[in-house]
Amino acid sequence: MKRLHLFSTLFLFAMALTTLFHETSQGAIRITEIHSSNSPLVTFRVILRAGEIHSPAGKEGLNALTAYGIAQGGTQELSYQQVVEKLYPWAANINVQVDQEITTFIGNVHRDHLEEFYKLFTDLLLRPRFDESDFSRVKDLGLNYLRNTLRSTSDEQLGKQALNAMLYAHHPYKNTEFGTVQGLSSSTIDDVKAYYKKIYTQGNFWFGIAGGYPKSIIEKIKTDFSILPDVPFNEVALPKPELINNLEVMIVEKPARAFAISMGHPILLTRKDKDFYALLVANSYFGEHRTFNGVLMNRLRGDRGLNYGDYSYIEKFTGGVGSGNVFPDLNTPLRHQFFSIWLRPVQPENTRFAIRNALFEFKNFVEHGLTNDDFEKTKKFVLNYSKLWAGTLNRRLGYQMDSEFYGTDYFIDRIDRELQSLSVEEVNAAVKKYLNNKNIKIAVVVDEGKGGEILNGMVANAISPIKYASSVSPNILEQDKLIEKFQLSINNERSKVVKASELFEK
Amino acid sequence: MRFLLYLMLCLVPLALVIARGPDENNKIFPYPINQVTLDNGLIVISIPFDSPGIIAVYTVVRAGSRNEVEPGKSGFAHFFEHMMFRGTEKYSKDAYNEMLKSIGADNNAFTTDDYTAYHTLASSDVLETLLDIESDRFMNLKYTEEDFKTEAGAILGEYNKNYSNPDMTIYEKLRENAFKKHTYKHTTMGFLKDIQDMPNQYQYSLTFFDRWYRPENCALIVVGDFNQTKLMELVKKYYSNWKRGTYTLDVPLDVPQTEEKTLNLPWKAQTLPQVSMGYRGPAFNDTEIDMPAMDVLSQVLFSETSDLFQKLVIEEQLVEYIYGGQQDHRDPELFMVDARVKEKANIERVRAEIDKAIEQSKTTPVSAERLASIKSHMKYQFAMGLDNPNGIARTISHYVQLTGNPESVNNIYSLYEKITVEDLMNVAKKYLNKKNRTTVIMTQEEGQQ
Repeated sequence: MKRLHLFSTLFLFAMALTTLFHETSQGAIRITEIHSSNSPLVTFRVILRAGEIHSPAGKEGLNALTAYGIAQGGTQELSYQQVVEKLYPWAANINVQVDQEITTFIGNVHRDHLEEFYKLFTDLLLRPRFDESDFSRVKDLGLNYLRNTLRSTSDEQLGKQALNAMLYAHHPYKNTEFGTVQGLSSSTIDDVKAYYKKIYTQGNFWFGIAGGYPKSIIEKIKTDFSILPDVPFNEVALPKPELINNLEVMIVEKPARAFAISMGHPILLTRKDKDFYALLVANSYFGEHRTFNGVLMNRLRGDRGLNYGDYSYIEKFTGGVGSGNVFPDLNTPLRHQFFSIWLRPVQPENTRFAIRNALFEFKNFVEHGLTNDDFEKTKKFVLNYSKLWAGTLNRRLGYQMDSEFYGTDYFIDRIDRELQSLSVEEVNAAVKKYLNNKNIKIAVVVDEGKGGEILNGMVANAISPIKYASSVSPNILEQDKLIEKFQLSINNERSKVVKASELFEK
Repeated sequence: MRFLLYLMLCLVPLALVIARGPDENNKIFPYPINQVTLDNGLIVISIPFDSPGIIAVYTVVRAGSRNEVEPGKSGFAHFFEHMMFRGTEKYSKDAYNEMLKSIGADNNAFTTDDYTAYHTLASSDVLETLLDIESDRFMNLKYTEEDFKTEAGAILGEYNKNYSNPDMTIYEKLRENAFKKHTYKHTTMGFLKDIQDMPNQYQYSLTFFDRWYRPENCALIVVGDFNQTKLMELVKKYYSNWKRGTYTLDVPLDVPQTEEKTLNLPWKAQTLPQVSMGYRGPAFNDTEIDMPAMDVLSQVLFSETSDLFQKLVIEEQLVEYIYGGQQDHRDPELFMVDARVKEKANIERVRAEIDKAIEQSKTTPVSAERLASIKSHMKYQFAMGLDNPNGIARTISHYVQLTGNPESVNNIYSLYEKITVEDLMNVAKKYLNKKNRTTVIMTQEEGQQ
């Protein structure tokens, strides 16, 4: 414990050295700032408190089109190409991240060029060009993402998005962050301009800045953003996600060499809630992302070599596919979160075994929870590991703003505080309260023509032995006999086989 | 001058911890590099950085898929990276994981064509624990044949997870056709048939470890908050018993390409067409101008500010993206050009525009202003990635594996400064020729939706 405590102390000391000023300013536009006078870099995270759930019906994806039209467009003074040419010698960058509830404009610059960069960045946000040509390019990007990337060339993303579509079928989160093919297709430049006028208001904007900026910039931000309509932020009410009845399965068919699997259920629990931190420890034990700590990883990959990795999450996680990020997401907060299990693609012949293996372990986890020894070790891991998540000012700013979104104190500090007094009984009670191994939605991406066979096999509870390339130990083979016939209570009425081309259409 | 000002600003916070000025000798890398070579040949590099309480520890093995010289053994460097997590007599796989868990470290590894890196981000006060378990697995790795075979399943799983993206297959085909002898003929993942045969290669895995996981072939890199004296005491304690190896590598050099090669690759799933071209380019070298000139040329031709990007992406919108450039390699590798074309009917038009831009670069000098802008971009981009210990350790690992010398980072950026417009035209003429090129054109199979 001494070492762990020293680590915390050192880290806090580091932050105290660099963070000279941090507050949420009172004024028309909300501002979160982390000032670090010795940093040569300045990072911006400007959140618009509007996301895909604000895209109007029939115009799904309009939020993303507008945001990308800004971030990859021009200002009233400069065309997109001129903006790119200005940023280039500074190696400064402007990016956008679209999500269900919020949209985040991200900028990074060396402070040598802060003044010019700030003008460019804020001109894009406050005086966007909305050029017809830029609109056309951005619309193509969105449509290609849905039609070609998501439906065809990224099976793991497809599995995750298919699960999202299932979990939130009757909820505002039902679409991808880029809407639908038909919604994007029907959106026009006039729709974008109207959306901008309605949504990009003082009340919806939330400015985040970190690094070595002059403090005078804060007043300038307030003044500059005061030209926007003074409409207060108005939160959209969300209905509860519908209840799941047994195992509801969607098999998605497309040409595929190996089969990707995602499963889960909504949980009405966020970083604001005390129990979130109990579940954070429990989930780390069961399925910490990209580590060999988790039960799932050890049983499916470590013991059986079923695939590349097996993890679980208690909130949205967009990293992992084509991203080296292993730490919790920045700026994808949801008021309605979900628990999920992600099995990376498995050999076709082992698909049903892999699903059963994950559900077998999940059942065991929900029923038995953690031992005190598991709890102590995992708690210690999470306490130390979480200190690594905010390794740059940019990341710290992102977590800070997410914490404010949820109405809690700084995420990493909150983890430290909650875990210090957490007990194994609280963790196991949270597992039983929030995790449900009986009512789950499952999305499986399979090769063309294989969907019926797999779904029928699951419905019939047909035995599904694993096929090994080589021998494994007798105790694993013994357990395999239980897993291969593990009872699956499939809700046949709510299960289906679809073509990938049918998803994300409207 | 602006860059010098930047360097000075960048160094202000470091003045507290660094005695030596970072702009000494006009070097781009702003932090002091401590380098010691142990008697057994292990290079130890340590770089203090203002990240209180946190360190990044990298172990770089100068063995990647380049080292896979025997037929049927492609992908083995990457496979071996996986095996390194399977334990020793002192610390079994479970004990190793338990220790990492107890210290809350972020620990992983990656393999490239030329090297394999094992990296950890952790609290400074677990330095000794880290060096203990890391040195142990590099010296005493031990796994059963059963574990070996099980891990082969995970490798196939890794290949499978990447397969739905056609980029992997395009690159496989391109390399397979661009090279005849050199091991760059296969990707780091390896040929699928070799991956499928991996469960049968237990004995070879022992040979691989014996050949390459030797101190003279490795570098230990520590960045962040540590005490140098204590660090070296611990390094000597844990690494001095590591024995040198004897194997020497003879990578077959490839013959020059003499004619253009073009392949059509049908893709079963729905996709936009893609044009990928690989020109046989130079090797990394921090004393010769060719490779840095190719880096600058890639910016001239394919960056967001290039005429080609402007025309194809912004104005005519014929492609979703276009990229061009060459990754640093120990031996001559490929200068790649990739474009995702929106309409199949425009593939030839896009190819012609790329050819036209390349031909112009051989005879039309870029302006002095444009060259200065590119050099500024490259310097700022480099500097902006050095804001955390992990990024710094990764940067230094990259250069150490290439030459064995971390100063290569300063040498190469010094060469960038010296590049002239003539250098750019010269390397364009030397390398970007059609007879030196392999092209893969990937389109969706007819009849697929």
